[in-house]
Amino acid sequence: MKKVLLAVSVAALAHTAQAATLNLYCSAQEDWCQLMSKTFEEKTGINVKMQRKSSGETFAQIRAESANPKGDVWWGGTGDPHLQAAEEKLTAPYVSPMRGELQDWAISQAKSAGDRTIGIYSGALGYGYNADLLKKNNLPAPSCWKDLLKPEFKGHVQIANPNSSGTAYTTLATMMQLFGEGGGFDYMKGLHKNVNQYTKSGSAPIKASARGESTVGIVFMHDAVKQAVSGFPIKVVAPCEGTGYEIGSMSIIDGARNMDSAKKFYDWALSADAQSLALQVKAFQVPSNKGSKTSPSAPNLASIKLIDYDFKKYGSSAERKRLLKKWDDDVSTLPQ
Amino acid sequence: MKRDLQKAGIDSNLRLWLLVGIAGYLLLPWYGLEDFWTLGWVISFPLFSSDNPSGLFLISQGDSLWILPSLLTFLLSGFAFRLPRANPSYSRLLMITGLSTLILVVTQGLSIGIRGWTTGWLGELFGSLDARQYGMGYGGLIFTVAALMIFCHGLASRPRKGADLFVTGAIGLVTAVVSVFVFFPIFIMLMSAFRTEDGGGSLLLFFQRLVEQKLWQVDCLVGAGPCGVAINSFLLAVSVGVITTVLGLCFALIIVRTGFRFNKILRALSVVPIITPPFVIGLAIILLFGLSGAVTTTVAEWLGLNPTRWVYGFTGVLIAQTLAFTPIAFLVLIGVVESVSPSLEEAAQTLRADRWTSFKTVTLPLIRPGLANAFLLGFIESMADFGNPLVLGGNLDVLSTEIFFAIVGAQYDQSGAAILATILLGFTLLAFYFQRFWLGKKSYVTVTGKGDSGIPIQLPKRVAIPAISIVSLWTVFTFVVYGMILYGSVVELWGVNNTLTFKHYITAFGLDWKDGIIWSGAAWDSFWTTMMISVTAAPFTAAVGLLTAYLLTRQKFHGQNAFEFGTMLSFAIPGTVIGVSYILAFNVPPIEITGTGLILVISFIFRNMPVGVRAGIASMTQIDKSLDESSATLGASTWATLRHVIMPLLKSATVAALVYSFVRAMTAISAVIFLVSAEYDMATSYIIGRVENNDYGLAIAYSTTLIVVMLLAILLLQFLVGRTKIGRRHAELESI
Amino acid sequence: MSQVIKTNAADVRFEGVSKIYGKDAVAVGDIDLTVEAGTLATLLGPSGCGKTTTLRMIAGLELPTAGRIFVGGEDVTDLPATQRDIAMVFQSYALFPHMSVQENIAYGLVNSGMDRDEIAERTLSGMDLVGLKGFEKRLPSELSGGQQQRVAVARAIVLEPQVLLFDEPLSNLDAKLRRQVREEIRELQIGLGLTVVYVTHDQEEALAVSDKIVVMDKAKIAQIGTPVDLYDRPNSVFVADFIGEANILGCDVLSRGESESSVRIDNYQFTVGNVVPEDREPRLAVRPRNIALSSESNPDVLSGTVKKVSYVGSHYEYTIVGTFGEVFAIEDTTSPLKPEGSEVFITFKGRGSCLVPS
Repeated sequence: MKKVLLAVSVAALAHTAQAATLNLYCSAQEDWCQLMSKTFEEKTGINVKMQRKSSGETFAQIRAESANPKGDVWWGGTGDPHLQAAEEKLTAPYVSPMRGELQDWAISQAKSAGDRTIGIYSGALGYGYNADLLKKNNLPAPSCWKDLLKPEFKGHVQIANPNSSGTAYTTLATMMQLFGEGGGFDYMKGLHKNVNQYTKSGSAPIKASARGESTVGIVFMHDAVKQAVSGFPIKVVAPCEGTGYEIGSMSIIDGARNMDSAKKFYDWALSADAQSLALQVKAFQVPSNKGSKTSPSAPNLASIKLIDYDFKKYGSSAERKRLLKKWDDDVSTLPQ
Repeated sequence: MKRDLQKAGIDSNLRLWLLVGIAGYLLLPWYGLEDFWTLGWVISFPLFSSDNPSGLFLISQGDSLWILPSLLTFLLSGFAFRLPRANPSYSRLLMITGLSTLILVVTQGLSIGIRGWTTGWLGELFGSLDARQYGMGYGGLIFTVAALMIFCHGLASRPRKGADLFVTGAIGLVTAVVSVFVFFPIFIMLMSAFRTEDGGGSLLLFFQRLVEQKLWQVDCLVGAGPCGVAINSFLLAVSVGVITTVLGLCFALIIVRTGFRFNKILRALSVVPIITPPFVIGLAIILLFGLSGAVTTTVAEWLGLNPTRWVYGFTGVLIAQTLAFTPIAFLVLIGVVESVSPSLEEAAQTLRADRWTSFKTVTLPLIRPGLANAFLLGFIESMADFGNPLVLGGNLDVLSTEIFFAIVGAQYDQSGAAILATILLGFTLLAFYFQRFWLGKKSYVTVTGKGDSGIPIQLPKRVAIPAISIVSLWTVFTFVVYGMILYGSVVELWGVNNTLTFKHYITAFGLDWKDGIIWSGAAWDSFWTTMMISVTAAPFTAAVGLLTAYLLTRQKFHGQNAFEFGTMLSFAIPGTVIGVSYILAFNVPPIEITGTGLILVISFIFRNMPVGVRAGIASMTQIDKSLDESSATLGASTWATLRHVIMPLLKSATVAALVYSFVRAMTAISAVIFLVSAEYDMATSYIIGRVENNDYGLAIAYSTTLIVVMLLAILLLQFLVGRTKIGRRHAELESI
Repeated sequence: MSQVIKTNAADVRFEGVSKIYGKDAVAVGDIDLTVEAGTLATLLGPSGCGKTTTLRMIAGLELPTAGRIFVGGEDVTDLPATQRDIAMVFQSYALFPHMSVQENIAYGLVNSGMDRDEIAERTLSGMDLVGLKGFEKRLPSELSGGQQQRVAVARAIVLEPQVLLFDEPLSNLDAKLRRQVREEIRELQIGLGLTVVYVTHDQEEALAVSDKIVVMDKAKIAQIGTPVDLYDRPNSVFVADFIGEANILGCDVLSRGESESSVRIDNYQFTVGNVVPEDREPRLAVRPRNIALSSESNPDVLSGTVKKVSYVGSHYEYTIVGTFGEVFAIEDTTSPLKPEGSEVFITFKGRGSCLVPS
């Protein structure tokens, strides 16, 4: 009996080993990742092995595995690590036939990265505040970036540390582009006086606001919307001066073991059908396919003043290092 | 007659390992091309298969010829049968052949990878190599182990050294696995501390960064700004070490030495924090003491003050870590307190010492090894913990979080992380030697071969009353924290919408019936994986840990201190670093195990082994060595002594090691984050995902379920292993 | 005696055995020694003389730094304890606290791979032999000190070892029990014909049980001999004093014979039954019991004054001072009391004194 069982299970194992598979590194939220891989599996019969980690962790892993890549596609997560991976040639160039259906910002990002990554959604930077706490502390409702510099907001603002968080780095880069380098650093210095904590993770500030641990949290607007939709007393603000944005990206890992499956997934993920799945999991980013459905709760990129974000410049390692060092030396050391 | 048997045993041991090695070479696939656990290669018998070829088959095809020399040196050891055992050449031959086989296997493994030569200079030296090789499989592994054993056999049979085959083999094996799974990855990781941005190496830069003022400033002590990261970590770790040791001691004393009415509850409760997944305690503390926390707002209202973010920073982390790590101190100390020989205390009392004096002068000094170990563990745990500082640290930066974000943060700064890791390691070393220095060379033997018929004395009132007060306060606090957690799992949205609901449990652990059970809950996958991996890792962890403790306390060999330090090393390094270093080291041949369940099991074994070692050492120093000796003179081999005499007397330590390693595997997060894969996703990484998503209800419901499962497992374990009856009488405990 | 437990007694031989710890801490220095099969030899000496180390080297618990050890003619020097056919009774008894009496006794038998019936039979007769029947299920902690000691002995002898070792086995027992147990050990040894090596620091115990005593001092053998040899003919001041107290006095040797010497102290001239080489300055060793005291004045013997006298039931103990120094003497209460301060005249009885080299 045992022998038969063994033979059967061995045969089963040998069988699965031959079926087409895809190793997917997913840096979006868990349920979105699950939904993407399940739907793709159903559509194609390709066996998806999905692993969810934050974009920073995934980047670290891909880099560590570069001698012997284990993953095929990296889907989701903010664009900077994707661009860095492209810069280090950890990801492979690929031009998808789906390009024609995409928004301009997605195509321009792909071009700047030598076709090694492509935008799948985008989200604008902004902030959210806890309406209850605001009232309790008798604070005026903020609507611009500059409002956060007011002295009465001292100890009420939370933002991530740009050294550890891509969101905060996007904020830093946005300020450079909004106010120029001098003005941008003056803004960060002014903000520093009001910051109660530099968190490690990018979305932590708005979670703290949701729980009533901080009044204002500077984050991507879709993260703030998510808290509001979940029932927390969060109001989302698109700053009046205009704001920067991120492009959630997708890359094929260089040396992928299942290149065919990877390309199939890549093309599918850019389709309107696939991108419309975001609505099912309350992901309020703006999809890159022009034909996808969007949520009424989602921040409307058209109504937000977006700056012309220079991904190539601010995504490069050298510029990043320079800005972060300057922030470290000139801003973070100031007394609060 | 007895001796002839033994002689034959020695030769048959050698024959056995020779045959094992040859079988590994001949029959089993040399490379591990598939997942370690799958047995696909069985189908095509490897001897004749080109899919999963054995070493011999490879060579016969003219492939991988670089593995041939190791086979030749291995076979040479067979000549030992022609030599008399007493002849020094016998051992010399085995040592030389065993060692050179090992060196050959390791060298070829490290120098030829999946893309030919692994380093440039090898290519320059020997010309380019088209061939490639993958990670080692069963064949390569077994062959290597056999070579190691033959080397150890040679060591053991050196004349006039009195070495024991089992002991030498055990030392060899533990050294080998610790080298491969602790030293090797950490070495790879630390090498990057010397790396400059352009890819070169610089010692000067390394030292410059090591002593950077930003790391070491002490401004906070004089109230002039923040302290350096290193100083923060050190202060925190010392505080946590001291507080957890004191609390752990209180718990242990009350449970062993008083008739406190709630002892059983206390015992169970004290273990609860250890089985709580990370982040959960932190979240509960925020809900209690945060800016909008229940306690903060109530107290602020009462005093007419504005609520503050007081809990964020040193205080909050201290509270959370104390809550989380006290059980570790307790687990170490209870074993030690239980084994203090009552007659020594009775002796003290007959020498005119009252309860307090005999406690102070006899009991306390006797449990010094326990205290030292508990402090060391608390110190190291605090150093390595990154979950609590992350949630509660506010602007307090500590080494572990800095390391984590140096690696996964926006700046991928591996060498920065390595430098911080070096500092962390330095602190651990310091703590380790401080402990050694404090214990000195005193003897702490209290279980002797003489039956002890003393009755444990009651705790003096002077100790009992403060201890019970502290513990009661603590207990109430723990109850509140866990009440919060339990409550959080059954409300719609924690802190916002307090409608009662079971939906989180249903989402996570729903079951459907349709031609049998359908595991429809979202958490089942990661739950079963976690169980499987934890259950596999626990016994290995305990075994390696206790074996190491045995070697350290009962045997003398060269390099013992280095050996001890090596076994403690992995514990001192934050899981994050372990995770990254494992990926760096084990993603490429010769050991290619990333993405498998095996790498998780291995990382747990070596991360948690130190607790087994410490618990084992603490208990073993209290067992009189004459028990081992008498067992030896009664003809028991070292192995039999270990099994029949030492192990039964170590049940407390065994349970501690098993429980701890099981629980740690269930709740670990830092290393796991890097090592989980699609197939082997762990509960904690799933929970973190939910927390990141602000999906607290599900996260906490899952955590609560895990807590219950672990509690059941601990009870089962305690029931299975049982307690050793050594016939001490128990006092009629007076109730307090 | 039991039919089940037999003997495999063998002799023990040391050839130039040394044990050095570290670089130069000599525990045992260059010892030659033979213990004949079926005899009981005692290693006697003060603490730290190396007697326990010697015993442990026989057991295989310590390996010698130099020299060879033979048991039953076979070289066992390099064999670890497990592989030697030797059993040992530890000072602390080293009973396994988690095993019952029966399990403790069966432990060694199980390790020798005996079949179950034989183990049961031997265990039973072992317990019978030491009078512990009915205690099978007890744990060591539930036994008295004497009973624990018997378990330790039974556990060793059921193995029928070539040599049985005792490391100060009586030190944890009360005086009465000690006498009884040492007699039992001797009886067992003779009854079973065992080779026993026995370590003690108690000379009375050594004299009572031994066929042969090995006196050790400072890592060396001071003297080997039968109890009578050692008591009557100590070869050094150390041995004379260690084996039953002795008064050591300065003396002049007048003449040396074959086996006798003529000796003088003050005016007292007498013969002793041994000879000491000329180059070693001889001293006289006199046992307290071999001093005869008399109140009758005699110019040809030693004279002194009673400094102190105590009555201890069976005898008087005197401290006497004179020109020769101070001596300690014992006299039965049957002879008349010499009060403190009185003058006494001293002679040495028959073979009661001997010369020792200093």
